[in-house]
Amino acid sequence: MGNKEMLRKRVDELATKVNGEVEESLGVLMLKVKGAYIIETLNGAKNFPEMPCDFLHDLTAVDLGNHFEVVYQLSSLRGPQILRVKGIVDRENPVIDSVTRIWQGANFLEREAYDMFGIEFKGHPNLRRIYLWDEFEGYPLRKDYATESVEQRAVVMPLKVGD
Amino acid sequence: MDVVKEKELREAELMVEKNVMVTSIDKVLNWARGHSFWPVTFGLACCAIEMMAAGGARYDISRFGWEVFRASPRQADLMIVAGTCTRKMAPLLRRIYDQMPEPKWVIAMGSCACAGGPFVDSYSMLPGVDKVVPVDVYIPGCPPRPESLLYGILQLQQKVANPAKVRLMKHGK
Repeated sequence: MGNKEMLRKRVDELATKVNGEVEESLGVLMLKVKGAYIIETLNGAKNFPEMPCDFLHDLTAVDLGNHFEVVYQLSSLRGPQILRVKGIVDRENPVIDSVTRIWQGANFLEREAYDMFGIEFKGHPNLRRIYLWDEFEGYPLRKDYATESVEQRAVVMPLKVGD
Repeated sequence: MDVVKEKELREAELMVEKNVMVTSIDKVLNWARGHSFWPVTFGLACCAIEMMAAGGARYDISRFGWEVFRASPRQADLMIVAGTCTRKMAPLLRRIYDQMPEPKWVIAMGSCACAGGPFVDSYSMLPGVDKVVPVDVYIPGCPPRPESLLYGILQLQQKVANPAKVRLMKHGK
């Protein structure tokens, strides 16, 4: 059995366990699950026997109009395996469990997703805006975000006292 | 002639002498300032690469006496805002400008610093640094070539040497 088939088998097993669906897109396996199962799914993928997907390459989100998808790109430093896990979250109440317990490196990536999409990561140690300033209103990468006018953007906040 | 009148005239004469002397020193000072700008290193984006190229051997900004790029605003009198200034950066830009000693000048280098450039519709973009600091010379381009920067600072040199004259050098027809 080649590497690819073995990974496919493991992902299929995991998918039946967490009630997800497997797709293949441009040669990369993709596992879509409900947001509530994300910790279980990622723990499972991290502990695949023979070919663990134990490195969180990237974490981001996508706005699909009626729901969000939180995308986890997994790979490994010890093999060629690549897996993309997508957690589906509600648009009205975008909450998902934080994966900082599994990968410390998810800290800033989750803050970025929170900054841009307003997705709340439950259990995150320090969920604040990372790129934008704290007073910023709205989540700019949402599809329904409307940019302020040039006149509004030309007004600059004063420096905070004690900065 | 009464004593009071004579005293007044003497004072007026003194004032005239004083004035004449001060204006000529101003002229010398302005000439010196225009020929030895100390720019503060304020590169924000790709324009900074062109600014560095202008400082390098090929374009050699030191031919004009402006080569002393300072890392501290306290030692500088010219701020070249080279690149994209975001709204998060804007208060810090203002702070650096405030930290520079008088007299000081600002050059907005590139379309982003002039008016927001290609990012003007973005949520994070400041539409031109002239919303934050008073800009003396605008250099368009994306990014402007080192020749443009040199030309821009030469324009500023004219402006510094002739503070009363608003209109700058006219080139071409």
